[in-house]
Amino acid sequence: MELGRQIASRLKDATFERIAAAGVANAAINRPHIGRSILELATLPLGAGDSAIVIGAGPSLHRRRSLERLRALCYTGTIVAVDGALGSCLRAGIVPHLVVSVDPHRERIVRWFGDPSLTAAPADDYFRRQEMDPMQAADELAANRELIRLVDAHGPSMRVAAATSAAPEVVARCTAAGMELFWWNPMYDDYDDPESVSRRLNRDNGLPCLNGGGNVGTAAWVIAHAVLGKRRVGLVGIDFSYPPNTRYERTQYYPELRSLLGERYADAYIHVEHPVLRERWFCDPAYWWFRDVFLEMARDAECRTINCTEGGILFGDPVELAALEDFVNVKAARTA
Amino acid sequence: MSKFLKGNYELNVNIDDTRADDAERTVDEFERKALSRLGGSICFVSKKGFLWKGENGARTSDRKPS
Repeated sequence: MELGRQIASRLKDATFERIAAAGVANAAINRPHIGRSILELATLPLGAGDSAIVIGAGPSLHRRRSLERLRALCYTGTIVAVDGALGSCLRAGIVPHLVVSVDPHRERIVRWFGDPSLTAAPADDYFRRQEMDPMQAADELAANRELIRLVDAHGPSMRVAAATSAAPEVVARCTAAGMELFWWNPMYDDYDDPESVSRRLNRDNGLPCLNGGGNVGTAAWVIAHAVLGKRRVGLVGIDFSYPPNTRYERTQYYPELRSLLGERYADAYIHVEHPVLRERWFCDPAYWWFRDVFLEMARDAECRTINCTEGGILFGDPVELAALEDFVNVKAARTA
Repeated sequence: MSKFLKGNYELNVNIDDTRADDAERTVDEFERKALSRLGGSICFVSKKGFLWKGENGARTSDRKPS
């Protein structure tokens, strides 16, 4: 087995190691702010009909102009966006019904909502290196100011599906912007184990535990069908990978792979040809794990999943591929 | 090997075989920590459904579609 896939096969436990302590610590800080459960979202009028579109922050969102096209289609179903895609949505004139935030990182994630405390470009190059929001990569301070304005303007129209693991800074920012929060626990481990972290959190705050699939995009998809009960779920910006010709230095886990593997770091990337575009995309081990997990979860889901990303590596049974226009206009989709 | 080599004497020193275990544990620990830097932002738990509502709750697969 090649190196990238070997590493990917071990990321289930590694993820627990990476985020459980921080997530549980954040849950304790967030505890006094926890009010409504995510289950209440099912009773609210969030878009018409039985379909939803989940907006991820992958590079196809901009390459395919998915948001501009979505706006032109006047889609009336439910729109669920990951936090990293919020800025792109608002700049494109799309106000999601629901924004999902999960990551416990205390400094970075609040930037997706506009960070009022940011006064100078930070030493952390995460936003300059990331592929999720090109605006944030170009001029961090100007993009942040603009995002603060947009989130403040549209905050009261949006709900947040907030994991208890979410950064307290995100919770404060969303609350200040007038966004209403609906809470859930990440499922950390097997709740049938009496010592399980998930069980302990549920006992403490009474919130349901949601199986997040490794990343916020998959968590948003789970919310769309398992909480909101949507039966057709379209995906845009869920690439789990990088377009051809992306430099390795511009990928999410480059510093970690470099420091772990030295000059062998490039061996960890996995290259895959898209079955429709015939483009050769590539991903790091984490993204490959996200893809495997998504396909496994999709087989158990009580919904059709139609990937309208038009790029990336998320294809294969039972995920269908279609153009965004075909999804919105309910034309037949096909399985890759 | 032990079926070919049999001692007919007692050693008067204690063999510390925990040292090898410790080294193995250290490597495992390092590997675990190293891999954790490559993990995701939320866990995935196999074969446990999408949503668990607690001891008295039902999984979402029991929920009626909208």
